[in-house]
Amino acid sequence: MNNMESQFELTQEGTILTINLGEELATANATALMEEINNYRETGVEKVVFDATKLSYIASSGIRAIYYAKQKVAGNPAIEFINCAQNIRDVFEMVGIQDQITFVNK
Amino acid sequence: MRQLHFQPIAGKALDILDTILHTPEVASCKEVFGDVRMVCEELVVNVVDYAYPDRTDGYLDVEIEKDEHAIAIRLKDGGVAFNPLEVETPDITKPMEERQIGGLGIFIMLKKMDAVNYERTDNENVLTIKKWL
Repeated sequence: MNNMESQFELTQEGTILTINLGEELATANATALMEEINNYRETGVEKVVFDATKLSYIASSGIRAIYYAKQKVAGNPAIEFINCAQNIRDVFEMVGIQDQITFVNK
Repeated sequence: MRQLHFQPIAGKALDILDTILHTPEVASCKEVFGDVRMVCEELVVNVVDYAYPDRTDGYLDVEIEKDEHAIAIRLKDGGVAFNPLEVETPDITKPMEERQIGGLGIFIMLKKMDAVNYERTDNENVLTIKKWL
């Protein structure tokens, strides 16, 4: 995995925290993402939007990062995924979180 | 059969995983590559992070066999006994905010693989996963 694949970027606008994911969310970058999410724990975030347009692979560590956002950002924020590929949605379905995520195609 | 030996393994999970995924046997598993990759990542990280809590000289041996019907990957380590088949299944009916942050890796392995076998032999954990092609 190279650096391009592991990149992510966080941006807060009002009550929405947007996380632009790279091609992969896995062992190599999930911990770093959780550390970044920590910076937004008490910033009034009501919704965390994962832009998964580039995402093609997720491991359990990546799912942990989603749990982390849900649990550690104060106020139990809604979770939204933009442009989520079917293979990623299949993983979400396998672990029973597909109905707890709003999926949006843009 | 391809045999790989990794030692020491501390801090090398991603390098080990990369080596396994680039073997011709695994790399040629086009349709199931994603599943094999996901499960190998879980297993390698588990061994590297938890098998040798008090040692820096731990090893991981990996055997890979592939034929026209299946790919089988066997991981052996000399670390603390750990039978993943005895791990409690996470409750996937709970809302995300009530779940434990960890514990999904073994669950994913059991869902993704067609056969999983664990033995404790000669002070080694021997875990074999198989996926039909």
